[in-house]
Amino acid sequence: MRTGGIITVLVLMGIGFAAAFFITDEWVESKIEYQASVLNEAKVELDGFDFSLFNLHLKWDRLQVANRNSTMENTFETGETEFSMQFWPLILGNKVIVKNVRLTGFELDTERETDGYFEMPEEEEDAEPGFLYSVVNQVSSEAKKNAEVKFTDVRDDLNVDSLMAKVNIQTPEKVDSLRNGIQRTYSKWDSTFNNTPIEKEITIAKNTVEAIKINEIKDPKKAIEAIENLQKLRKQIDSLKTKAENLKNNFEQDYGSTRNQISQIDNWIKEDYQRALSVAKLPDLDVQNIGKALFGQNLLGDYAAYLEYVALAREYGSRLTGDEEGEENIPRYEGLDYEFSDKYEWPGFWFKNIELSGRTKSDIGIQGSVTNISSSQVKTGEPVIFNLSGEDENQVSLSLSGEFNYLEEAPRERFNFNYAGFSLSEARLSGSDLLPYELKSGKGELNLDLNIVDRRIDSRSDYLAKDISFDFEAAGAPKNRIESLIRNAIASADNIDVTALVDNTEGPLRVRVRSNVDDLFMNALRQTVSQEVENAKRKIEAEVQKQVEGRKEQLAEFKQEKEAEIRQRYEELQAKVDEQVKRVEEKREELEKKKKELEDELKNKIRNRIGIDFGL
Amino acid sequence: MFLIMRYFAKLLKALASEASPGQIAGGVIFGMIIGLTPIFSLHNLFIVILILVLKVNIGMALLSFMIFSGVAYLADPIFHSFGVWLLELERMQQTWTNMYNNEWWALTKFYNTVVIGSFVTAVILCLPAFPLVKYGVIQYRRHIHSKVQKWKLVQAFKSTKFYSVYQTVSRVRG
Repeated sequence: MRTGGIITVLVLMGIGFAAAFFITDEWVESKIEYQASVLNEAKVELDGFDFSLFNLHLKWDRLQVANRNSTMENTFETGETEFSMQFWPLILGNKVIVKNVRLTGFELDTERETDGYFEMPEEEEDAEPGFLYSVVNQVSSEAKKNAEVKFTDVRDDLNVDSLMAKVNIQTPEKVDSLRNGIQRTYSKWDSTFNNTPIEKEITIAKNTVEAIKINEIKDPKKAIEAIENLQKLRKQIDSLKTKAENLKNNFEQDYGSTRNQISQIDNWIKEDYQRALSVAKLPDLDVQNIGKALFGQNLLGDYAAYLEYVALAREYGSRLTGDEEGEENIPRYEGLDYEFSDKYEWPGFWFKNIELSGRTKSDIGIQGSVTNISSSQVKTGEPVIFNLSGEDENQVSLSLSGEFNYLEEAPRERFNFNYAGFSLSEARLSGSDLLPYELKSGKGELNLDLNIVDRRIDSRSDYLAKDISFDFEAAGAPKNRIESLIRNAIASADNIDVTALVDNTEGPLRVRVRSNVDDLFMNALRQTVSQEVENAKRKIEAEVQKQVEGRKEQLAEFKQEKEAEIRQRYEELQAKVDEQVKRVEEKREELEKKKKELEDELKNKIRNRIGIDFGL
Repeated sequence: MFLIMRYFAKLLKALASEASPGQIAGGVIFGMIIGLTPIFSLHNLFIVILILVLKVNIGMALLSFMIFSGVAYLADPIFHSFGVWLLELERMQQTWTNMYNNEWWALTKFYNTVVIGSFVTAVILCLPAFPLVKYGVIQYRRHIHSKVQKWKLVQAFKSTKFYSVYQTVSRVRG
């Protein structure tokens, strides 16, 4: 045994422990902050960070996750949080597996003291927004669109000229562009028929057929040879026929798509009409639209905000559910790892259980748990499940539960949010000019149910305002008849129940809003602005029709004319091919006849000379 | 050139040193194991501790490690194939699985084709290498050393300034 060696080993071990002790928290903190910021695409910051290598314990006093769309706000922040990482996954696989996390001071949408912008490394730039973001945009625009409808501003004396100056009628422009397209298609086919080699090949075939002089054939062998040549020629002509038919098919396909475009003209006219209506801000007096106009902005606005969180979860989920292992290759001197069991099939990170507590913006204390946040649900076999609830001293309650399931190919999100018992005193239920009144009293309840499977969304949002009374005095005397009718209609309503349905289970996305007061409003509107709206609509429709009149017919005529020209070219070509087929066939028959004559002649000669009849 | 001369000097010094042939052979085989196998492996940590604690010749271990690292670079595909064969041996499956499922054994990374292939190769090579090296050192010291000392090349080398500096440094290091 070497004493010096033992001392060296002990010294090295000492250095190792000292290094572990002195590894700065700042270094680990900066690594975590950077990786999390890349994932979040905005700053993620830790304050009061403490990491102990000996028991793999991690703690921070504050975590801020900046909102990448509004970098002066945090998507959420947490207070004191601590957890311990499991030893073996970290040592053997560099994987962070955490059994329990205690997370306090959780708050959503908090303000930041500094800008949370994060410069993304180039390769980490994200692709186009996903499906759920497109739903968020559609719902938001639906909410905005309906909020702009002004029911009380409808006038009978609509100035159509000044309105049409503001509306960009697009149909004539689109029709012109389509006409140019038809002209281009025509030129293309005209040139195709001019340059087709079929014509040349037909001429060659014609010359070949004409070159066969039947009367000059004196030998049956020559006749057989000529027949064989004709058979070859027939095959060539058949192939020309196929070529011509292919040309025809391609041409018809090309013109077929134009036919579809022409049938689009009616839709373009409708779009122009709708655009003119929306510029005129004319309400569509349909009970289907009243709910949207009255409550759409508030309810759909809330809905879009919550859906954005789900979209965010799916975005992160899709980034993390991908195959963590790269393509299998064997780097030199690294070899291949054999897996004898699935014992070490850990995801990159896995927070099994997070006990969470915090406060909402409206100061409701909430607590609950979030389970199984991981970098690969396929490896953990567990979806993210969250369950949070809370109530304040005024019995205002809030609960949030759901599941983000990325175990299968189709991502699934289930989400329920309930917020009940909040005061509606001095609140306005609607942004619409039809219901501009604040409430004196009342309690509200909002319930949102959302089910998304891949690109199928099915959701329902209920808003109940109960024990309400409107503050008509503060609004003063009714300004017009419509206001007076509406006041009378809703004065006796002590509950307003609104339901928003957003789904695409039966096709494109549908956004519907219904309420128990829709009919009351509809009746009031029918008695007042209905006639004015109809008159204005008629004027707009007439003006749009005037601007696009005859365009569809002219275009159809133009298209038909060009199509007929090309069709005629094809038919001429087809006739030439058919004529050649006929000629070849006639020539072949003549040759067959000639061959028989020559054969008979030959047989007769032989019989006469040697007395043997070969015909028997 | 400087490096080769240094290795050569080290080799000559070790062979002629007071270290026993067993200590030199021990240094060679430990260096060989570290050289042939991936350096950052758990078993190499034990080997390094053994080199430091046992009275094997450290210079020889270093020299052997350098030589066999080069060999290992060339033999990597062979180690990989041998590792694949070992890890797929039907009668070893239960053993491998048990070792794999034990975290301490898993730390050795013996489930990796190159680690197991090169380690088993090195261990097998140790069996003939230790007595052979030991025998070689004895034979060198008995029959060859005095002749080598008379070689013009060696004498020329010994007369270089480099060798005298090297000797001084070696003496100071002990």
